[in-house]
Amino acid sequence: MRARPVRIDQIIPSIVERDAVSHHTLEAQKVLHSMGFVSEIYAGNMGPGLHGRVHLLEDLPREPPERQWVCYQASIGSPAADVFASHPGLKLLDYHNISPAELVERWLPHLGGEVRLGRRQLAELAPAVEFGVADSEFNRLELEEAGYRRTAVAPLMVDTTNVFSPPDPRLLERLAAERSGGGHDWLFVGQMLPHKAHQDVIKALVLYRRLFDPEARLHLVGRESCPAYADALHRYASALGLAGAVEFAGSVSAGELSAYYESADVFVCCSDHEGFCAPLLEAMHHRLPVIAYGVTAVPETVLAAGIVLPSKSPVLVASAVHRVLTDAGLRASLVQAGLERAKEFSIDAARRGLVQAVEQVLQAA
Amino acid sequence: MTSEIVAEIESEARELRAGGLVPEGLEDELDKCFEDVAEESLAAAYASATRTSGAPRAELGRLSSLVELRRQAERLVRRRFGPRLRRIERRAALGARRAAEAGWIQLHVTADRMERLAGHSPLASRVLSTVRPGELAVPSSAARRPAIEGALLSWTLDRLGSAPRHEGAPRPVLHAECGDGRLVELLAARGLDARGVDPGFSARARGDASTVAGGALEYLGATPPASFDGLLLTGVVERLRPGAARALARLAARSLAPGGVVVLVSARPEANMAKDPVTADLALGRPLHPVTWCHLLAQSGLLDLEVFEPDASDPDAREPELFAVSARRPDQARDGYYDGGARGRR
Repeated sequence: MRARPVRIDQIIPSIVERDAVSHHTLEAQKVLHSMGFVSEIYAGNMGPGLHGRVHLLEDLPREPPERQWVCYQASIGSPAADVFASHPGLKLLDYHNISPAELVERWLPHLGGEVRLGRRQLAELAPAVEFGVADSEFNRLELEEAGYRRTAVAPLMVDTTNVFSPPDPRLLERLAAERSGGGHDWLFVGQMLPHKAHQDVIKALVLYRRLFDPEARLHLVGRESCPAYADALHRYASALGLAGAVEFAGSVSAGELSAYYESADVFVCCSDHEGFCAPLLEAMHHRLPVIAYGVTAVPETVLAAGIVLPSKSPVLVASAVHRVLTDAGLRASLVQAGLERAKEFSIDAARRGLVQAVEQVLQAA
Repeated sequence: MTSEIVAEIESEARELRAGGLVPEGLEDELDKCFEDVAEESLAAAYASATRTSGAPRAELGRLSSLVELRRQAERLVRRRFGPRLRRIERRAALGARRAAEAGWIQLHVTADRMERLAGHSPLASRVLSTVRPGELAVPSSAARRPAIEGALLSWTLDRLGSAPRHEGAPRPVLHAECGDGRLVELLAARGLDARGVDPGFSARARGDASTVAGGALEYLGATPPASFDGLLLTGVVERLRPGAARALARLAARSLAPGGVVVLVSARPEANMAKDPVTADLALGRPLHPVTWCHLLAQSGLLDLEVFEPDASDPDAREPELFAVSARRPDQARDGYYDGGARGRR
């Protein structure tokens, strides 16, 4: 049995409100407090509103492993990894996946360099880390491939404010008015980044409107994090004559997000890379059938609670949407399965995962 | 059950194709259309970046017309030769992409090595320029440091001249990383006792009393507290690691006399990137975001934080290369009790 440390501190390259990994880190701090540890968060950079809850990285205490453990939240390349590597405390690493550079660097050369660095740092840290935690089996396997000896899955602690906020009434009214003219509503939620492949959802919408429902609409919700890519998507929708059918909602409030989920008929995801994909679970919670391209961690997140497609050919995606929206029995069974799947990722279950991971390390000789 | 349903959906999709409901080539056309708009958007982003860094407008016009010319030629060729050329086109695109990827990888490796060398060197704070991965995206213009001029220059000089005079002798205004001393001269022309310090050769070459050679961090660290009425920080602020940035903010606050003003001018970090401060600050060696600098200066006990924002109606100022942040050290007469920055009447 290993000696119980006084404190388990977390290191994160950058922390900001309304971000999945940042929220997970803040929740993990609560879990560590509930286990009786002193626990603070140390960030390379912090966004507005977190001052006082998060400390700057250079203030991180440096105590021996019998008194202090440090947990690194890994999702991108950062100098914070060097601080973590040189720390004398026992090391844990919580891995949220790093997008492959080839999917992003055409549009975001800076980000391409950062994710390459992140992958390299992940491998370099492996010998020094006592225990690696990943928020999906897909991510855990990547840790193993990178050389991590002891690993476990502990689910992401999803931001429940997105799920439980009451829908914004004004937006609900507007969306209902749009629906009164006919046509189904597709929804995709995710930052406008190239690896999310929004263009493939638009392509599928083109086929769906042509084959089944000329009035169908698509709502793309998520911050336009890459201006050039967002510009290309706007141009694409216009070039295809879909300017009135594709809504670029941008970053929205929790209430507005709930309204989009409540008003949509189907959630369609064509991402090329997802380490977990929390919006899939949010959609399930809102009784929305999910259709997703089965790549990276997506099949594991969805399991049998949605339609996971082997390719994202526009005709195949359009056919899947048509099938789900016209087969009432299938739709009902998907909604029910989704609700059950979403419950498996409750915040309590995620907290238990982290507690178990810490206890495993404590029990190790 | 879902695997059976997926099989059924695949079968339905095949029937749609076989029934001629999906025109042949439509999906290829959708792909091609996105590639076209992607190139337009990337060209526009490139043009925006080069316009704000002062590239000649004629060059940009040529770039736009070349893009249009290429599109016209493609349309003509597609109309004349149709599907036979698609295979050749795909192979050519694949080859070009592989060549570009190989080039990118080499550039990233080089940039990462230089970053590490700079990071581990005891002279890291004196490194005059650091190649950053992102800069390689804009080959000719990004290496040049943009000049402080126009509205930004006026704003900077006004702020530095606005420090209220305290009791006792006036203290100098220091430009840390002053380069060739141009701004030191402009400050002096406004009647200020202006001085400069720079790690580069230009300060040494100048050889007069107004500028001396040295790194900003070392110089401020060796200067007694409350030495300056004004402090202008440029250059060095773009190359600091997060810990050093905080140290610089603290040194700046310490070196100001009560009521003294610091102005910090830096390259914007977020061109072609997310606009929020945290994402912008993620990269190694990238300049910090204005919001981050505001946090650091406020944590160092400074007040009256202001960020210089360009005129949004000016088309040339849409993506300005530089931003500026100013802050003031509290003084007893204006702000009440002052205990070194930790507390005060706010």
